[in-house]
Parts: sequence; C-alpha cells; structure tokens
Amino acid sequence: MKSGFARVIAVVLFMMAAQVHAGAVDTLQQEYIAAGAGPFSAAKGKEMWIEKHLDAESGKQRNCQSCHTEDLSKPGKHAKTGKVIEPLAPSVNNERLTDIKFINKWFKRNCKWTLGRECTAQEKGDFLEYLRGL
Amino acid sequence: MSQQKAGQTVLVWDIPTRMFHWLLVVCFVMAWLSYEDNRYLDVHTFAGYTFFGLLLFRVVWGVFGTHYARFKEFAYGWSDVFGYIKGLFGEDMRHYIGHNPAGAWAIFSLIGFGLVLTVSGLFVLGGEEQHGPLAGIITFRQSTPFREAHEFAAYTLLLLVVIHFVGVITESLFHRENLIGAMFRGTKQADTESTSVRPHRLIAATLFTVVVAYVIAAFGGYLTETQENPYLPFKGKELPMSDTWNEACGECHLAFHPTLLPARSWELMLEQQEDHFDDDLFLEDDTIDELLIYAKANSADLEQTEAAWRMNSNIPANETPLRISEVSYWKRKHEEIDDEIWKRNEIKSKANCGACHLDAKQGTFEDADMRIPGEAPEFDAIEWLKSVLGGDEK
Ligand code: HEC
Ligand code: HEC
Ligand code: HEC
Repeated sequence: MKSGFARVIAVVLFMMAAQVHAGAVDTLQQEYIAAGAGPFSAAKGKEMWIEKHLDAESGKQRNCQSCHTEDLSKPGKHAKTGKVIEPLAPSVNNERLTDIKFINKWFKRNCKWTLGRECTAQEKGDFLEYLRGL
Repeated sequence: MSQQKAGQTVLVWDIPTRMFHWLLVVCFVMAWLSYEDNRYLDVHTFAGYTFFGLLLFRVVWGVFGTHYARFKEFAYGWSDVFGYIKGLFGEDMRHYIGHNPAGAWAIFSLIGFGLVLTVSGLFVLGGEEQHGPLAGIITFRQSTPFREAHEFAAYTLLLLVVIHFVGVITESLFHRENLIGAMFRGTKQADTESTSVRPHRLIAATLFTVVVAYVIAAFGGYLTETQENPYLPFKGKELPMSDTWNEACGECHLAFHPTLLPARSWELMLEQQEDHFDDDLFLEDDTIDELLIYAKANSADLEQTEAAWRMNSNIPANETPLRISEVSYWKRKHEEIDDEIWKRNEIKSKANCGACHLDAKQGTFEDADMRIPGEAPEFDAIEWLKSVLGGDEK
C-alpha cells in the first residue's frame, strides 16, 4: 500500500517536472511564433550550432561549441576563462532549459559573443528545438 | 698532540641533547628550503614551530639537564675564548671534553638568534598571514619590521651555523677527534676522572613522540585528502559572501571575491557591464545596485585579507585596474609560472584562479593552499639551489 502510494507520488512529481521542462521551451517557442517565427527545426538548430563565425577582433573562429564543446552530454569548458560548464543536454542534466529568464539571458550573451549580434526569434526557436531533443 | 686522551670512553652527550641537535639541523634546512615559495608555508611554519619548541627544550635542559649540557658548565668568559683560540695555533692547546669556549659562544649565539628568529617569525605569521598566536593582534602594516628582523636573524643564524661548522671541523682536525661522530654516538675518549652522564632515554622518547605527533597533525591531511576534498593546511578567516554576487559573477568564471580589487574598480566594471572583456553581462539595474553594495563593503581598500592588503598597496591611487591579473603584485607572484603551464587544459586562463588556489571561492588565497594542476607538489631542490646561487631577488 505504502510503496504503491509513494510510487504514485513519484510519478506525479516526475510528470510535474517534465511539465515544467516542456513548459519553458514551449512557452518560449510560443512567444517566437507570436513574433512571426516558426516552424522550428532541430536539424537547422544543429547546423547553426556548429556553424563557425569569424571574430574580427581576436581573428578566431567561434561557434556554440567553443564553450559547450562537441559532446553536449559531457561538461564543457568556457573558451576564455577555462571554467567548467555543466552538460547542456537535458537528458543528463535535468535543470537545463527549465528557466525562461536563464535561457533568455544566455541567448543574449552567447549570441552576442558567438555571432556578434542578437539571435532572431527563428534562430532561438531552432536552437531550442535542437537542444531539447538531446 | 692530543693530551689527556687516556683510554676511556665516556658518554658526554645524553640522548635528548643529541636529538635536539639533529632535529634542529633538520628544521633549519627545512625552513631555508621552504621559505621562498608561498606553496610551502605550511612546511616552513612546521619547521619554525619545531625549531622554537626545541630551543625552549634546550633552555630548560641547559638548567636541569646532564653535566655537559648545562649552561653553567660552558659559560666561559672572553678571556677563555681568546686563550683557546690562541692555543689552537700555539703550544698550549687545551682539550675540552664538553664544549670548548669558542664552541660554547657559538652555541649561546645560536640559541639566542634562534629565539629571535622564531619569535620574529611568529610576529610575521600573525601580521602577514593572520595565523598563529598573534593573529589579530598585529596588523598587516605593522608586520614589516618583524619581517626584516626575521630575515636578519635568519641570515645571522646561517652565518653562525657556518662558523660553528668550521669550528667543529677545525677542532676535529686539530685534536684528531671526530666531533660530528661524537654528536651522533654521544661518546668521547676522556681521561680517567671523567664519568659518563645518564642517557635519559625516557625524556628522549617523549621528545621524539611529541615531534612525530606534530608531524602527523601537520601533514597527515595530505595522506587522507581526496580529489574533491583536498587538504587545506591553512584556513583563512571566513569572508562575507553574497548569493547574488556568486550567481551573477560566477557563471563564466570564478566569482572573484571583491577583496581582490578596490571599490573604484568594481564601480567602473559594473558601470560598463555591456563591455565586460568582450562579453555583455545584461544585468538588471537592481542586481547591479545589490552587487555594488556588497562589493564596496568588501573591497580591497578595506584590507580584510593579506591578498587584499597587498593588492591594494600595489595599485597606484590614480589607476583603476579592471583585471586582477594585471595588478603588479599579482604579476610578481605569478611570474615564475611558465607559459606552458597557463596553456594547460586545466588552467587555460590567468583568471581561472580556482585551478590552482584551492580556497579561491572563499577568497582567502592562503599560502600553502595552492597546487599547480598536473604537478606533484614536490620541492625542486635543484631549482632552489640554482635560484639561491643565482642571487635571485624576491
Ligand atoms: C563564451 C562561452 C559560451 C559560448 C560560445 C556559448 N555559450 Fe551557451 N552558455 C555558456 C555558459 C557559461 C552558460 C551557463 C552555464 C551554466 O548554467 O553554468 C551557457 C548557457 C547556455 C544556455 C542555457 C541553458 C540552460 O541551462 O537553460 C543556452 C540555451 C545556451 N548556452 C546556448 C548557447 C548557444 C545557442 C550558443 C551559440 C550561439 C552558445 N550557448 C555558445 C557559455 C557559452
Ligand atoms: C557572460 C560571462 C561573464 C559574466 C557573467 C561575468 N564575467 Fe567577468 N569575465 C568574463 C570574461 C570572458 C573575462 C575575461 C577572461 C580572460 O580573459 O581570461 C572576464 C574577466 C573578469 C575579470 C578580470 C579577471 C582577470 O584577468 O584578472 C574580472 C575582475 C571579472 N571578470 C569580474 C566579474 C564580475 C564582478 C562579474 C559579475 C558582475 C562578472 N565578471 C561576470 C566573462 C564574464
Ligand atoms: C597556474 C596556477 C595559478 C593560477 C591560475 C592562479 N594562481 Fe595565484 N598563485 C599561484 C602560485 C604557485 C602562487 C605562489 C607564488 C609564490 O609564492 O612564488 C600564487 C600566489 C598567489 C597569491 C599570493 C598568496 C600569498 O599569500 O602571498 C595571491 C593573492 C594569488 N596567487 C591570487 C590569485 C588570483 C586572484 C588568481 C586568479 C585571478 C590566481 N592567483 C591564479 C598559482 C596560481
């Protein structure tokens, strides 16, 4: 009886967590659609993730992998400071893509650093579509 | 040549005296080998405390110890010393079973300067590092004269050790008597009237146990440490922390503690947050306000730590550095680290303080709490000798 009850609670909690998880990305993509973007493609997201951009000042190529590295299920390393970055893949790090403010902040910073400009709603939607599937 | 050397072997130096002597030698060498690099300050203070303890023991033993170890047995006047030295080159060469007058003076000076050295060391430890019994009593700024006294006493002691050593060799040659061996064995050849002293095994065993216990207490942590839980020989005073700061400033790099730069630097850095070393921080205004309050209340100007004091005193008043790693004190402290090391995968950037400083998050940057990743914390004696012989300045 007792363990059955605990199991129910666990399942409910898990569903709630999954809900929140889906929630942040879904809410953001909804926003992007409202702004005229969509539909979103994971393949496009992946392509942009790898695409290199030349930084004029340092003369170096930059992409999203510069810090998050190639295997997103493993910890990354900040390209400039050497700080370890927790894995980005939600499948190994269930805190990823759960906080709208956090995602917004990092899109702002990382797009500016990597692309030299802010990302468009379409690009952000594609990135999220790619990342959520990892 | 050697008069009065009738065939009798007597015990002159009891075991505690010999143990004192050789442990003192070990501590002396250890302290010289470890003084320069902050990483070995734990070894240095260990040597210092042990040296101090041994001297105190010797003072007591000089009053209550065995015959030849008693101070009054070798409290010779100047005339004895001159007589003895003259005698070495003349006819009237006297042989002493215990300390000869010149040796006796060397020993009193060694003990005296040894005490000056260790006591001034306690003041430096209390002032510069805020550790030891005098922590909190001496301020950073008051510690400078003690440091000078400490260095002076160290060099004087080194000179005395050399004189003592030359004296021992000279006397050994003149009298054809192995005095170094005698300090190990404790025995000498003597006339028939001299008698052996008691060896005092129990006191020696106690002395030995105390030293071993101290070794374990000081260094045992290195044996039980793990990768995640490294042993920190020094724990600094706990500094105020702010969750807002640690979150906002700890995402891309270590959240550098505000004690590392003066208030004007933090103000300027937060003012131009959209141009933060090629990054845009996108922080909100109320977050910035909160960060500023915390930073100003703990900035380097307030000198809460040794690092803060040194950083602050090294920044000219008309400069507002934005990089910790460009302050002259920081550069000086890290100039011996090779380019190859900075490029190592575990380090990558000068700003990655935590790669080497185990207490970087706490902001205390204590000596001895640092390891260069990929390197065993081993002392390189050859490098050290080279640097000493090369007269390299600090
Ligand atoms: C200069 C280093 C750097 C680069 C380049 C970089 N990132 Fe990041 N990114 C970070 C850091 C640091 C975090 C915060 C990690 C953490 O939570 O500790 C982060 C977090 C994120 C997050 C938030 C994840 C979450 O927890 O919800 C997203 C999304 C993201 N990055 C996307 C990107 C994209 C897209 C690119 C390429 C356009 C990119 N990043 C390039 C450093 C970088
Ligand atoms: C978006 C990422 C990011 C955030 C957030 C961030 N920084 Fe930085 N910071 C950097 C980068 C990149 C560097 C340059 C590192 C290098 O060149 O090695 C840097 C360098 C610094 C340095 C100079 C380090 C040195 O070389 O001595 C200081 C000081 C500093 N940051 C303080 C802060 C403070 C205070 C905050 C919080 C208000 C903060 N940073 C937040 C990215 C960031
Ligand atoms: C590559 C490893 C490494 C990195 C990275 C590093 N340090 Fe150090 N640091 C050392 C070593 C080694 C010493 C001791 C130097 C000596 O005494 O010769 C030291 C000494 C110091 C001292 C002097 C300590 C004292 O008590 O006298 C301070 C303060 C300090 N570092 C601060 C920093 C800060 C702040 C950073 C990051 C911006 C940093 N260090 C990054 C290795 C490192």
